[in-house]
Amino acid sequence: MNQDGLVTHAEPVMGTVVSFALHPGELPGPDLRTALQAACAVLQDADRVFSTWDPGSPLSLLRRGAPGSAPPPVMAEVEAACRRARDASGGWFDPWAMPGGYDPTGLVKGWAVGKALRTLDQAGIPAALVNGGGDLAAFGMPGPGRCWRAGIRHPWRASGLAAVIEVHGAVATSASYERGAHLVDPRTGRPGCRAASATVTGPSLAQADALATGLAVGGDAALEVIGGLAGYQAYLIRPDGTESWTPGMQFATG
Amino acid sequence: MRAGAWLVLGGAVAGFLGVLGLHRPASSSALAGGTVTQGPGTQGPGTQGPGTQGPGTQGPGPTASPGRTTTAAGPPGTVTGPVVNYGYGELATRVAISGSRITGVSVPVIRVAEQFSQELADRAIPVLRHEVLAAQSAHIQAVSGATYTSEAYAQSVQAALDKAHFK
Repeated sequence: MNQDGLVTHAEPVMGTVVSFALHPGELPGPDLRTALQAACAVLQDADRVFSTWDPGSPLSLLRRGAPGSAPPPVMAEVEAACRRARDASGGWFDPWAMPGGYDPTGLVKGWAVGKALRTLDQAGIPAALVNGGGDLAAFGMPGPGRCWRAGIRHPWRASGLAAVIEVHGAVATSASYERGAHLVDPRTGRPGCRAASATVTGPSLAQADALATGLAVGGDAALEVIGGLAGYQAYLIRPDGTESWTPGMQFATG
Repeated sequence: MRAGAWLVLGGAVAGFLGVLGLHRPASSSALAGGTVTQGPGTQGPGTQGPGTQGPGTQGPGPTASPGRTTTAAGPPGTVTGPVVNYGYGELATRVAISGSRITGVSVPVIRVAEQFSQELADRAIPVLRHEVLAAQSAHIQAVSGATYTSEAYAQSVQAALDKAHFK
């Protein structure tokens, strides 16, 4: 527990590390641990189903069109979320336009982290933030009269921040600075990126994650699309370092 | 090892650009909340090896051209980056590393467009160094960014935040 009274945990999963910050409130320690274990199990389960590295994962089997066992129900849930995100993004996020066929990777991590967070909420934890390798969501308040705050990593300086924003729901950032040129422009089917850093906030981390991917690929054109979505805001740092954001983006002051 | 060292340098060059960028109205409004910060222990590891220090050519001077990948060597314990064209001119950065910490940043090569002077660079670099060495003060619980690998997590500000909570 830190000086703010928050309990933290770091879970290696999905090829990254998922960080938890929990406000335990009056919840007994054993209940807190049980809730945390349940949230981590959600992440590990999602990793097993949606791994693109494991050739035997249900997603890999689906992508190969391999015959056999029926895909787990969560597959359809994620596919529906992908369809919503594709439509909302104006096509800048499109898992069906990826090389090698349907690839929901741009949404899955956000979806899983959001689901893990809901597990904590349902367990009676008063406030929590979960950060899935850079895509995060929170509920409650970390302390009396305070709200969760997240830094947006500086695109060219790993230890610097480009901005600080208040977290009301979900925050997802996409860029090519960590894992290289993995972003594919659905309009060309080729690697394409029009942002040094692309951040989207909103109520759903699954949608924010996907929209951030679309924003990174589409740049200003995608920013305009996201600006028209109810509940979602965007913050774009262009490759030349200039910035733009939608009017409702809540940058922290002080 | 070598790639890691250049990553650190890339960050330093970009940091310098970021300092120049503070003069942009858009940037300064986004940064208005005291948002530039630095967590402890978050710099890349001291990854320079024997291979990363170029052969002893010379110090500052307009000798390299944009796109060249090597430049002057620095003293032992330092790594010097390539001369890069950053839009307003050309510069290279040199980073002093002690153990796993960056202990200093200097600019051995700089040629700037006329509206920017060496004096400006001299002012900018101490600001950058201040940012590099300052402790975290933004009162954040998390950092949003492109998904890092499990390995990169260890060097991230998020890891520093997580660690700070175990007391």
